[in-house]
Amino acid sequence: MRVSVARVLTGAAGLTLMGVGASLLLDVPDLTGVLVWLGGAAVLHDALIAPLVLLIGLVLVRGGTRRPVRGALLVAGALTAVALPVLLRPGKPANSSVLPLDYPRNWLLTLVAVATVTALVLAARGICRSRGRPRS
Amino acid sequence: MRSRLFPPVFKGRLHDARTATSIGRWLGLAFMVCLVTGLISHAWQHPPGWLADGLPSRPAWGYRLTQGLHVASGIAAIPLLLAKLWTVYPRLFVWPPVRSVRHALERLSVAVLVAAAVFEVATGLLNTAQWYPWPFSFVPVHYAVAWLVAGSLVLHLAVKAPEIRAHWSRRSAGTLARPEEDGPSRRSLLAAVAGAVGAVTVTTVGQSFTPLKDLTLLAPRHPDHGPQGLPVNRTAAAAGVGLIPAERYRLTVAGPQPYTLTLDELRGLPQHEVELPIACVEGWSKSARWTGVRVMDLLERAGAPPHARVRVVSLQTRGGYRVSEMGHAHAHDSLTLLALRLNGEELSPDHGYPVRLIAPNRPGVLQTKWVGRLEVLS
Repeated sequence: MRVSVARVLTGAAGLTLMGVGASLLLDVPDLTGVLVWLGGAAVLHDALIAPLVLLIGLVLVRGGTRRPVRGALLVAGALTAVALPVLLRPGKPANSSVLPLDYPRNWLLTLVAVATVTALVLAARGICRSRGRPRS
Repeated sequence: MRSRLFPPVFKGRLHDARTATSIGRWLGLAFMVCLVTGLISHAWQHPPGWLADGLPSRPAWGYRLTQGLHVASGIAAIPLLLAKLWTVYPRLFVWPPVRSVRHALERLSVAVLVAAAVFEVATGLLNTAQWYPWPFSFVPVHYAVAWLVAGSLVLHLAVKAPEIRAHWSRRSAGTLARPEEDGPSRRSLLAAVAGAVGAVTVTTVGQSFTPLKDLTLLAPRHPDHGPQGLPVNRTAAAAGVGLIPAERYRLTVAGPQPYTLTLDELRGLPQHEVELPIACVEGWSKSARWTGVRVMDLLERAGAPPHARVRVVSLQTRGGYRVSEMGHAHAHDSLTLLALRLNGEELSPDHGYPVRLIAPNRPGVLQTKWVGRLEVLS
């Protein structure tokens, strides 16, 4: 198999940049803590987040409404992931301008908005189909 | 061992190279914006010696834009990264796990990429909420791991170049070889991912892009919340300054012709009004109207040479960023003020009463509050 020069050079550039990152990490006092958190990030995704997403998909995404439901779950999941720090941060914020909003309420509002839009899409699809049927 | 459960069998569709390429290029773009804007922010906060005096003071909104983009593209990367990892997840279970030395190295580089990418967006997001559950210091580690992400991503692009090329467009050879019935489902998935990126952006970006502030539902800051309608990071209490009595306040300007001013004398000098943003490294920013004395006028009176750098020293007794330095571009910019008033009112203690620095194109942490001393550096 022929590997182009540009590809080899790109790979070498990547390795060099990784080397920069690794050497910077070696200067960090608590390297063990960093490695635990790096490994933990991969394990958290591979052993928890991904199986959970697949399981939710297996249970909820089925039948004729697959695509809108999948889309709704994806958007709601992304909003939830982004909201987790402001929802769960323990302790009192540094001052009143940090985390000033009612986040549980706002998060629920975004989920209601996603559910509403999805319901409207499904209803619109239903109307289109029932109109289309007599003609065909 | 091979059993009925392991390795798992993935019957679902779209775990394919075309989907991975379509999502991957948007994720790559988000990461590239994150890296470039992150390096800009790093240069501001830890300038290498050769750059320390070369940072430009214009455009005035420069840091506001780059740091707002840094946080917004990092948040946009979250749904993109999760979708990308979902697409390629079955490859975690390829059998046999290792076919050759080359295959082992390839998998190792992907492991570094996944770990570093998840780590980077997660720590960045938690930092915006000022939540630090880890044992290490955030800034140097977030910076180092950024290079790991960049490097392993470039390496990944080199390794996967043939597959990326084969699935780049709808008409590419690899895409055409995929089952045609996957097309509509894939487009629906990509539309949902785009919708997720839009949703997380719209509900957070108002913390820096103020026209959308009313849609700010999930951001850790809101432009209207804070003393005098402006967010703060370090309060007067946290900095250990409290309320500085006006009659006791002195500003010392150290230079070839040093002098000291009382607060009344400062108020008596020609006052200038500027519209400048406070732009925090955590991503929030807001523009405000500041009134005060030009730093260039104070420097001129101290006999400072036109290319002098300046050190600004705070009266705060606790916390970092007590001292900041400015290159000559900032020190001699007509927009750079020692501000006494904010939106027409006297500064509140949390915004630096009685005197704070406000300069264009500069991170918020370097807009030193409770200024007690200016030093002309040769």
